[in-house]
Amino acid sequence: MMDSTLKNKTSKQLLWVGMAGITMLFAGLTSAYIVRKAEGNWLQFEMPNWFWFSTVSIVICSALLHISKIVVKNGKSPVVFLIGALFLGLFFSFSQIMGWQKLVSDGVYFTGKGSNPAGSFLYVITLVHLLHLIGGLVSLTITSIKATRGKYTSEDYLGIELNTIYWHFLDLLWLYLFFFMMYI
Amino acid sequence: MSDHHKETFISKYVFCLDHKMIAKQFLITGMLMGVIGMFMSILFRLQLSNPGESFAVLEWFLGDKWAPGGILDPNMYLALVTMHGTILVFWVLTAGLTGTFANFLIPLQIGARDMASGFINMLSYWFFFGATIVMLISLFVESGPASAGWTVYPPLSAVKEAIPGSGLGQDLWLVGMALFIVSSLLGGLNYIVTVLNLRTKGMKMSRLPLTVWALFITAIIGVLTFPVLLACALLLIFDRSFGTSFYLSDIILGGEALHNTGGSPILFEHLFWFLGHPEVYIILLPALGLVSEVMSVNTRKPIFGYKAMVGALIAIAFLSCIVWGHHMFVTGMDPFLGSVFTFTTLLIAIPSAVKVFNYLTTLWRGSIRFTPAMLFAIAFVSTFITGGLTGLILGNSALDINVHDTYFVVGHFHIVMGVSAIYGMFAGVYHWFPKMYGRMMNKKLGYIHFWLTFISAYGVFFPMHFLGLAGLPRRYYTNSSFPMFDGLTDINEVITFFSIIGGLVQLLFIFNFFYSIFKGTKSTQNPWESNTLEWTAPIERIHGNWPGEIPEVKRWPYDYSKPGMDKDFVMQDVPLKPGETEH
Amino acid sequence: MNILIAVVVFLIIASMVQLVRVGELISQIKNQDTNKVTEKDNKTQSLLFFIIGGVIYLALVLWQFKYWGIHILPPASSVHGEVIDGLMNFTLGLIILVFFITQPLLVWFVFKYRKAEGNETAFYYPHNNKLELIWTVVPTIVLTAVILYGLNVWNQITGPPDEEATIIEVYSKQFSWTARYAGKDNQLGDADFRLVAGDNELGVISNTTKEYLISEYLPTKISELEKKINNSSKFSEKKKITEKLKKAKKQKERIINYLSDNPRSSEKLLSAEDDIVTNTVHLVVDKPVLLKFRSQDVIHSAYLPHFRVQMNCVPGMVTQFAFTPTQTTKEMKEQEGEDFEFILLCNKICGIAHYNMQMKFIVETQAEYDKWMKEQETLSQKLLTQN
Repeated sequence: MMDSTLKNKTSKQLLWVGMAGITMLFAGLTSAYIVRKAEGNWLQFEMPNWFWFSTVSIVICSALLHISKIVVKNGKSPVVFLIGALFLGLFFSFSQIMGWQKLVSDGVYFTGKGSNPAGSFLYVITLVHLLHLIGGLVSLTITSIKATRGKYTSEDYLGIELNTIYWHFLDLLWLYLFFFMMYI
Repeated sequence: MSDHHKETFISKYVFCLDHKMIAKQFLITGMLMGVIGMFMSILFRLQLSNPGESFAVLEWFLGDKWAPGGILDPNMYLALVTMHGTILVFWVLTAGLTGTFANFLIPLQIGARDMASGFINMLSYWFFFGATIVMLISLFVESGPASAGWTVYPPLSAVKEAIPGSGLGQDLWLVGMALFIVSSLLGGLNYIVTVLNLRTKGMKMSRLPLTVWALFITAIIGVLTFPVLLACALLLIFDRSFGTSFYLSDIILGGEALHNTGGSPILFEHLFWFLGHPEVYIILLPALGLVSEVMSVNTRKPIFGYKAMVGALIAIAFLSCIVWGHHMFVTGMDPFLGSVFTFTTLLIAIPSAVKVFNYLTTLWRGSIRFTPAMLFAIAFVSTFITGGLTGLILGNSALDINVHDTYFVVGHFHIVMGVSAIYGMFAGVYHWFPKMYGRMMNKKLGYIHFWLTFISAYGVFFPMHFLGLAGLPRRYYTNSSFPMFDGLTDINEVITFFSIIGGLVQLLFIFNFFYSIFKGTKSTQNPWESNTLEWTAPIERIHGNWPGEIPEVKRWPYDYSKPGMDKDFVMQDVPLKPGETEH
Repeated sequence: MNILIAVVVFLIIASMVQLVRVGELISQIKNQDTNKVTEKDNKTQSLLFFIIGGVIYLALVLWQFKYWGIHILPPASSVHGEVIDGLMNFTLGLIILVFFITQPLLVWFVFKYRKAEGNETAFYYPHNNKLELIWTVVPTIVLTAVILYGLNVWNQITGPPDEEATIIEVYSKQFSWTARYAGKDNQLGDADFRLVAGDNELGVISNTTKEYLISEYLPTKISELEKKINNSSKFSEKKKITEKLKKAKKQKERIINYLSDNPRSSEKLLSAEDDIVTNTVHLVVDKPVLLKFRSQDVIHSAYLPHFRVQMNCVPGMVTQFAFTPTQTTKEMKEQEGEDFEFILLCNKICGIAHYNMQMKFIVETQAEYDKWMKEQETLSQKLLTQN
């Protein structure tokens, strides 16, 4: 129905528009954060170290996907990089959960007695990011499986491109959210 | 080139990827939900004009629990008002309008085989269908459907002790809306990317029909604003079910002081209306696009001021995103914000006025053919003027003080949305029915439908302005608690009378629609002698839209009655004559 | 019964189908296209639009103004309200003018330019930039005037309240209003929702209320509940009362903790002692008043239409609106009829009885007001006499 260059172009644009929408979701949440914070009664607490591990892992994950794209363009197999990225993505998820556990033990709760909106917002924002990341994990898993079956060539590697774009987005989004919550 | 897969009932009608079928799925779901939503309004209008009187129809439909002795229960009154608003704003005027016409017209009018992603498109319908099921289920739960108004402000919507509908009914409402938002977003992705990339050769953006421009711009604001509603709803879900305090603070309900502190209901209002206001333009803009097309074809003249019309669409869309605070003038927010929002809100009147004047000039010195669609398009201008003008009062913060949340507002938004935008939708259905089903809708029934609707709509909503200026608040179960409103009974009775006629005559439209699908007279290839590309595709409809090559575009869509041409219309794929200049 | 109705509906639809089919067959016999728009259609429909959408519509609009316009609220009974009314009249005049220019143009064009003999061809007129400019600039100028006028009025209304204004709190809850006067010192005492209990319905914070709640009301309640538990034999009843007992104890503890974590200065506590709680609001004509709004549960909206006052009551916030009444209730009764009252309504959906939340406002002379005020007891007096 559609030639592959056009399909490439439209698929990427569909992803871009989708990411614009997701950005607006977080714009809504972070605006709410700012408005609420301005009213006071805002708990100050330290970010768990686990979230630094999250940051590092997602940045490297992005880098690996970028490399996988270059590799497949040069006609070599991207599988090892894709799997590497997948594991880092899983590690990110793990570090998020560990981070939440540390917060709870530090007395920063999502809800209930002793909770504070600063904590509630942190949990909501990181949870919503994680849910979108899990979507990315599903997509990356499918792409990795397809790669092991040799479905990507140096001419057609749309799936890898799309994953790369999306993971760069998740990465940048995380960086924005993480530093936003730390410094704003 | 059409798809050569074997079609089963499931693949043809259910999990279809073809944009034309998906459009019809949206249309029919929207229409049926519209009947339900409209019927709800008749039920509560009966209560409003005849408070305390018993109506058998109320008990018949709502049962003994919600209409004991034929008298509407006050909680169910608020539930009906809430669900009426929700269904008509989202299901009919958003999904039914955009979902139908963006899906149907965009590929056909730009010269594409289908949307950029048929799969995402199909998903958008099925999320919509899921949302529909959830909303319908919420109507039958024991504690009643959501009842805090379609605007669901917390704390009323957040705590089930505040009103019964804020229990399970509200949970289901929120889930239904979340699914609906996803559906809208998925649709919007396609509309934007398809218009940008799949235009046929020669279809420059400056040769796009205004319909496509309107649907394209609508999709952009939709993608940017619906997610904020999702954020808003998410935080409400957490407050309701997980005990957080995003919106709640200092509350005593159900006999005890709740634990929440530090939250703000005003935060909800900001997040809600950040979508809520653009939402009404998401409803209006497609109607403007459809009317532009119907009017041009039936006046046999170009739509006047194409560039200005596009510019006005963009200006309205942009401004619509910075006016949301006009819903919050009396919330106690900083008066300076009130000034800012008054300024931006009143500015929207300018591009709106430009469009109205352009429509009038389109009619001027036309040769008007009165199809039912054209009647609705003309009536759109009439009601858009009426409803738009009262916006000048509501948008002015000082004046809003005394009319906010009164029937003045109810009259205003119904005339611009519930009448104008619906007229745009009717015009679209009557006009493109032949393209959708290869048959014509019955003309006489169309005329009857139009006139009774036109008279009833003004009969229902114009008097409301007087109720509002008399100080009558909205969402009141009865107006009989305050002696100051006793004189308003006559007006209320007139409104209910017309609402019943107007409601019933829509059934005539539904009848005409379904009858014509099966028994309507077969349509010719281009029954309206229109220029746009969809009429070059075979009237029998095939996957991929054109059997051979897609036509190439040589001119803009509005060469009607162009001097020096053989006919009073020139389709977009007709090459320029030697010596002819393009507009 | 249901079957009968279903059968009737089915028969109606079936007969409609047949009627439409008959219509189509007749057209076929006459060799006409049943759905083609004819010259006769153009004439009929355009005439109908001119008459119904034009003449009748506009006549009915005028009729409504004449016969239903009488129901519109009387002129404002407050200083800022009069300014609002001026703006409203100006704006109404403007939109009525625009309405009576554009609607006749619309229906005239619709009728005049119908397709008919002599008007078979339309005039190809795609654009005119000069016209566009005119009808962009003119609305801009008009709207600039409307905006400036509007913002001017808005600034007058929302400016800082008069320093001498009498402060009255209007407290909203499902489904009633209560007022609290600030008393002789014109200082409202602090309040908090945690202290709402017994006769301290507004949660006022003062030494008297503290004493009342902690040493009297709550301990009495607790011991009564304990007695009930001992006297009760049914298990389910015992369980329910135990729950209530737990809540009462928790409430007492919560109040004590809150007050110790959030101490008020002695001035603040004292300022609450002379607060007066009432169910009607009395105002002195021509004297400025500052209303402060609170809500106990959901968003309500304090709507005083005759004064052109409206302000949401939001739980967790205090909102306010200042105004000066200009007419006494007596004067209004002479003007509007004996049944007239200034009234406060709820104007934001708040639950089942949203339609019946009202409180009377009475505007009177200073002398009448002083007399009424003398008869009121302060909240502290009320609570103390409980002993």
